[in-house]
Amino acid sequence: MKSTFCGLFFFLFSLVSSAQKINYSTLSIPDSLKQNANAVLRLDQMDIVIVSQRSMNIKTQRVVSVLNEKGLNDIDAYQHYDKTTSIKNIEAIVYDALGNEIKKIRRKDFRDQSAVSGSTLFSDNRVLYLDYTPISYPFTIVYNCETETSNTAFIPQWYFLGGYYLSVEKCVLNVTFPKELGFKKKEFRFDGFNIKKTTDTDTNLSYIAANIVAQKQEDLSPSYGELFPKVMMGLENFHLEGVDGKADTWEAFGKWYGEKILNGTTVLPDETKVKIKALVGDEKDPVKKAKIIYDYVQKKSRYVNIAVGIGGWKPMLASDVDRLGYGDCKALSNYTKALLQVVDVPSYNTILYGDRYKLDIQPDFVSMQGNHMILAVPNGNNYIWLECTSQDDPFGYQGIFTDDRDVLVVKPEGGEIVRTKIYDDKGNTQEEKGIYTIDETGNFSGILKIASQGSQYASRSRVETMQPNEKEEHYKDYWGNINNLKLGKITFTNDKENIRFTEDVQINASNYGTLSGNKMMFVVDAFNQYTGNIKRIRNRKNPFQIQRGYLDTDEIEINLPTGFSIEFLPSNFELKGKFGEYKTEIIKKDNNKLIYKRSMFVNKGKYSNKEYDEYRLFMEQVSKNDNAKIILNKN
Amino acid sequence: MKIKIFSLTILLLFISKAAAQEFKLGKVSIEEIKEKKHSIDTAAVAAILYKKGNSRLDYNQNDGFVLTTEVETRIKIYKKEGYDYANQTINYSISGNSKESIQISDANTFNLVNGKIEKTKLKSDGIFDQLVHKFLGRKKITMPNIVEGSVIEFKYTVKSPYVSWMRDWNFQYAIPVNHSEFTTYIPEYYVYNVMQKGYVFPKVSKDRKSSSIIFTSKERPDARGNGGATSFSQDKIDYFEDKTTYIIDNVPAIKEESHVNNIDNYRAALSYELSVVKWPDTPIKSYSSDWNSVVKTIYDYDDFGPELNKTGYFEEDVKTVLAATNTPEEKIAVLLSYVKSRVKWDEYQSYTCDKGVKKAYQEKIGNCAEINLMLTAMLRYAGLTANPVLVSTRSNGIPLFPNRTAFNYVIAAVETPNGNILLDATDKFSTPNILPLRALNWNGRLIRKDGTSEEVDLMPKKVSGDNVFMNYTIDPEGKVTGKTRRQYTDYNAMVTRDNISSLKEEEYLEKLENRNNKIEISEYSKTNEKDILLPIIETYSFTGTNLCELIGGKIYVNPMLFFTEDKNPFKQEVREYPVDFSYPFADKYNITIQIPEGFAVETLPAPAAITMEDNLGIFKFNIATNGNSLQLLVLHQINEAIVSAEKYEMLKEYYKAMVAKETEKIVLKRI
Repeated sequence: MKSTFCGLFFFLFSLVSSAQKINYSTLSIPDSLKQNANAVLRLDQMDIVIVSQRSMNIKTQRVVSVLNEKGLNDIDAYQHYDKTTSIKNIEAIVYDALGNEIKKIRRKDFRDQSAVSGSTLFSDNRVLYLDYTPISYPFTIVYNCETETSNTAFIPQWYFLGGYYLSVEKCVLNVTFPKELGFKKKEFRFDGFNIKKTTDTDTNLSYIAANIVAQKQEDLSPSYGELFPKVMMGLENFHLEGVDGKADTWEAFGKWYGEKILNGTTVLPDETKVKIKALVGDEKDPVKKAKIIYDYVQKKSRYVNIAVGIGGWKPMLASDVDRLGYGDCKALSNYTKALLQVVDVPSYNTILYGDRYKLDIQPDFVSMQGNHMILAVPNGNNYIWLECTSQDDPFGYQGIFTDDRDVLVVKPEGGEIVRTKIYDDKGNTQEEKGIYTIDETGNFSGILKIASQGSQYASRSRVETMQPNEKEEHYKDYWGNINNLKLGKITFTNDKENIRFTEDVQINASNYGTLSGNKMMFVVDAFNQYTGNIKRIRNRKNPFQIQRGYLDTDEIEINLPTGFSIEFLPSNFELKGKFGEYKTEIIKKDNNKLIYKRSMFVNKGKYSNKEYDEYRLFMEQVSKNDNAKIILNKN
Repeated sequence: MKIKIFSLTILLLFISKAAAQEFKLGKVSIEEIKEKKHSIDTAAVAAILYKKGNSRLDYNQNDGFVLTTEVETRIKIYKKEGYDYANQTINYSISGNSKESIQISDANTFNLVNGKIEKTKLKSDGIFDQLVHKFLGRKKITMPNIVEGSVIEFKYTVKSPYVSWMRDWNFQYAIPVNHSEFTTYIPEYYVYNVMQKGYVFPKVSKDRKSSSIIFTSKERPDARGNGGATSFSQDKIDYFEDKTTYIIDNVPAIKEESHVNNIDNYRAALSYELSVVKWPDTPIKSYSSDWNSVVKTIYDYDDFGPELNKTGYFEEDVKTVLAATNTPEEKIAVLLSYVKSRVKWDEYQSYTCDKGVKKAYQEKIGNCAEINLMLTAMLRYAGLTANPVLVSTRSNGIPLFPNRTAFNYVIAAVETPNGNILLDATDKFSTPNILPLRALNWNGRLIRKDGTSEEVDLMPKKVSGDNVFMNYTIDPEGKVTGKTRRQYTDYNAMVTRDNISSLKEEEYLEKLENRNNKIEISEYSKTNEKDILLPIIETYSFTGTNLCELIGGKIYVNPMLFFTEDKNPFKQEVREYPVDFSYPFADKYNITIQIPEGFAVETLPAPAAITMEDNLGIFKFNIATNGNSLQLLVLHQINEAIVSAEKYEMLKEYYKAMVAKETEKIVLKRI
C-alpha cells in the first residue's frame, strides 16, 4: 500500500508574541528540567487572534535552551507559507550559556525552500527555516514569528509538551475570537500536568503550564499525540481557500463539504459513460458492479499528488482524472465515485487518517481532520471500503493503512462517523506447511508453502512485486536464522478474490546442522522464528499497545539424516496468558521422521506500563523455545 | 546451395527488423507497445528504449558561445511498479540574474487501443516549475494516461550561459537502457576534459568539420555626417568544430549492494570540465588539463591560496598554544586540538572558503576549507611543512582525472621524514592519520606553495584494533557472570567515540544490553574517553541468563558468547562491485572460561585457521583446557580497506567458515 499522504490538512504552525523578560542564562534552569532533556523550552507561547471568519493572526515565541547536539531539532524555527498564509515577521536571536546575545538572525538569513516532499509531485507550499550551527553548548535561542492566514478552518492543535527528551519551563496559549464564530475546544489528558486555564470566556481562552519534565521515548508506546496533553480548537463558522464554511455537527460538516467542495466535481464525458455502461453490461448486483469499476480504475490510474491552493482539499475534476489517468487520493476516490454513479451504485467520499498506526477522526469534535480519502460503498448495513490509490489491493481490502478506526463518511444528507473494518486477530493468519531434510553433513533442503490472510496479507504480498535482488534480500532476511541460505524456485499465488497470498518456496543451506565431534545439533523451528526483539526498558513509564493480533500455524515434516540416532528432542511446550497463546509439539513418526507443530496467537490490546515486563518475558520464552535444538549422535 | 540462400533471407529479415526500431521521437512501433517484458532483464519494471542527446556550443552575437543541450528519451513501462518513470524531473541552476532555461517538447504517451496506437500529448497541466531554493529549480512533468505497457517520449532542451559547466551524461539507471547515445559539438576554442566512469564503456567516434561565425558590424556616419549612410559589414571567421559521439547499447540496470560506499561511483557516465579556452590572437587560458594547472588554478582562487597566507588573526593565540611544545608531534597535536575547539564545523563540504578564515576564526564557526586551511596556516606558522590536500568525499565520488570540480573537500598534511601525517579538524574525534570516514575515498591531491603537487593515498593501511579480554564463569543453571575489557584503537576508536557520544549513557547501555543477548551490565566505565590520542577502553561486568542452553542435563554454550559472529554478512550470490570495509581491522579475543563445579567438558570445538590469498585476511581459533578453566584465543583480521568483486567468493567463503567455527558449541556434562 502506498503511504499516501494527501497533504490534505497538514499545517505546522508557528508563532510570535510580545516579548517577555526572561533570564536567558542556562545556569538558572532547575535540575529537574535537565533530567533526560536535550533541550529545555524556557517559554513556548502562541497568541492566536481570530479577527474574523476570514482572518487569523498567529504569533509564536519560542525560547529554547539547547543543552546538546541532540536538542538541535527542538529549536523548530521554521514556518510554512503559501498564497493564503503569509509570514509577516520571522527572526531569531542566539544567546550564549550566560545569556549574552551572540547573534541576530533576520528574515533574509532564514533559508527559503520549496516544501514539496515525499509522494507529492508539486505544491506551492514553501518553508522558511533556520539553519544554525552552534559554536558551543548549551545556548539559548529566541525565535519569533508572525503569520496571517485566511484559512480559519485550521486552528493549530496545541501541545503543552512538544517532544521527547524535551522539558518545558513555561508554556502559554492565548486565543482571542469573535463571539459569533462559534469557537470550540476540546482538552485532552491534562491529568498529572501542571496546566492552568487562566481565561475561558466567549471571546478568550488562555492556558499556562509550567515545569513539565522531559519524557523518554519507549517502544510500543501509543503515538505521541495520544500520550500527552493537548487542546484541539475549531470554529463553527470558518473559511478555507476562498470558501466559507459552517458546521456545528458532523452531519452539517459533511453537508457543507459535499455542497461546497465536492459539488460539480463528478461530471464525466458522455463517451466515458457509454464505455462504463458497456463494461458493466447486464450486471445487476451493486457489489459486483463496484468490483468491475474498481478493477477499471486500478488498471487505468496511478497516484500522483499535486496540491495547489484549494486543490489540497478539493478533488481534481473527475473529467480530468479520466483524461489524464492520475490523481491523488481525493481525485481517485472521487473519480471512482463518478464512475459508480454512472451505473447507479451509490458511494461516499470518506475522510480519515491513513497510517499504519490507527488514528481516529475525533468523533466528538467537529473540525477539519484527516490526511487521506477512501471511498465507502454501502453494502447492507455495512460498507465496503475502497482504497483508490492502490493498483494492487484486492477489492474492499483495507490492510493495515485504513483498518479499524473512526472515519467521516460524507453522504449527501450529511456526514457520519463510522468505524472501518476490523480484522479479527484470529483471521490475520499465516499458515506454513512444509518439509525439510538434513543430510549427514548437516546440509539443509526444504520446501515450504506459506499462506497469509487478513492483515498478514498486506505485509507478505509485497514480495510479489519485488525485483529479483530485493526478493533474494527479503527471504535471506526473513530466514536470517539459516546461514548460507540459497533460494530455489519461488512461485506466488495471489488470490485476490479470497484475499489470500501463497508463497511456494524451495530453499537449501549448507551446515545448518553443526557437527562437533560425533554430535549434530540444529534448531527444530527452521522456518518461523519469532524475531521481534522486545527490549528491556528500565523503569518503563508509558502504557504500551499491540496494534494488531495474529495467528501463525506451522506444520513441518523433518527428515533426519541416516546413520544418526536422537540424543535429545526438545519437549513439547505451551504458554498461555493475556497476551496470547503459544504451543509447540514434536511427534516422532518413525526413526528418521519427525512432525513439528507450532502455533502462535497474539492478541491485540492496550496494556499498562506495569505489564510490559510480563510481555517481554512472554516473548522471551517464545523466542527461547523457538530456538530449541535437536541433538543427534552418529551411530 | 538452397540452405545458404535460406540463411541469407533470415539474416536480411533480422536486419530489417532490428532497423525497425527507430531512435527518433514519434516513431514508436506497435511492437514496442506490445512488448510484455524486457528481452534481457525480464523482471525490469520499465526500460529506457533509447536516450539520445547532444551538447553544443552555438555562437550568437549578443552572448557569444552559449551551451545548448538537447535530450530525447523513450521509456517503456512494463509494470505498475514502473509508473514512477512517468514522472520526470529536470534540475536547472540559478545564479543571481542568470539561469539555465528548460524547454520541454514532444512529450507524448503511446498506448495500444483496439490494435491502434493512441497518442496522448502532455499538456501544460502536467508540467510544473518548482523553485527549490535560490540556486536550484526543477522542471517536473507527469505523463498522462499511463497503463502497463505504455511507451512515453519526451524531449528537453537546456540553454545555459554557463559554458564551463556541461551536464553529466548518465548511461546507466536503475532500469535497463537499450540504447544510449551522446554527441558533443565543440569549437576548437574550447577544450573540455571528459571523464568516463563505470563498468561499461561507450564506443567513441570523432569527427572534425569546419564551421564559421558571421559577425555583422554596423558603421554609422559620424556626427559631422562623414562616412555617408549607415553601412553594414560582415566578417566571417572560420573554425573547426569537433564532433564526438559516445554510444552504448544494452546497459544493464545498476543495483544497490551492501558494503558499497557510493553506488554512483560505479554508474556508467560521462562528466565534463572546461580545461582550456584559446581564442585566436589572445593568450591561452588554462583551467585544468594536468595536475599542475589544476593546482595552480585552485591556488589562485581568492578563497583558497590567499587564505592560506593570512596569519595575523591567530598569531597571538597560537603563540600561547605552542608555548610548551617542543617536538613536531606535540605541535601537530596541540594545533589540531586547538582548531577543533576553537572553530566548529558548519557541515559544509568545500575546498574554498566562504566567509574566509579570519571571520571563521572570530565567529568560531566555518566550513571545511576555512577550518583546515586555517590549520595548515597555523602548522606552517609553527615551522612545519604543511600543505592542503584536496579530497573528494565518499558521497561525491572518486576523482579520476585531473580536474577542479572532482574535489569537494580539503584536509591538511604535514610532510615528515616518515611520510605524510593527514589531519582533519572538522571532526571532534579525528586524530593525526585517522580521518573521518567521509574523507576516506581513494586518493587526494597534496598541493604545495610552489605549485607542485602529488597524489596522496587516503586509504588507511594500518590495521585498527578491537581487543577484547573477557573472563566469565558458568554456574550449573547456565547463568553466566563475567567481566569484559574492550580496547579500540585507531579507526575503531574514532567510530566508538562517535557511537558513545551520540547517546546518553543510559540509552547506550540499554542498547548494548539488548544487542548482546539481553545481558545485564554493571560497573560500566570508560578509559581515555576524552584523551583521543589514546585507544578508548570500555570495561564492564555482566550477567546473562540467555547465554547458555541446558539440553538434556548438559550445558551448551558458544564460547565467545555475545561476541559470536553468527551470521555471514555476505549473503548475495553474485557481486558486481567491490566490498568496502573503510579500513583494515583486526578483532582479537582473549577469553577465559570457568566451568561449573561438577561438570566436565564433553565436546570442545577443534582449533582452526583460515587464510585468504594475497594476505587479504586471516582467522585463527585456538582453545585449550586447563583444569576447570578454558582458554580461548581468536583472531579475525582483514588487511584491505577495499576488496575487489573478483575476491568476493573467497571473502564469502572465509566468513562462512568463520561463522561455522564460532557457532560451534562447547558441551559440558555432569561428572
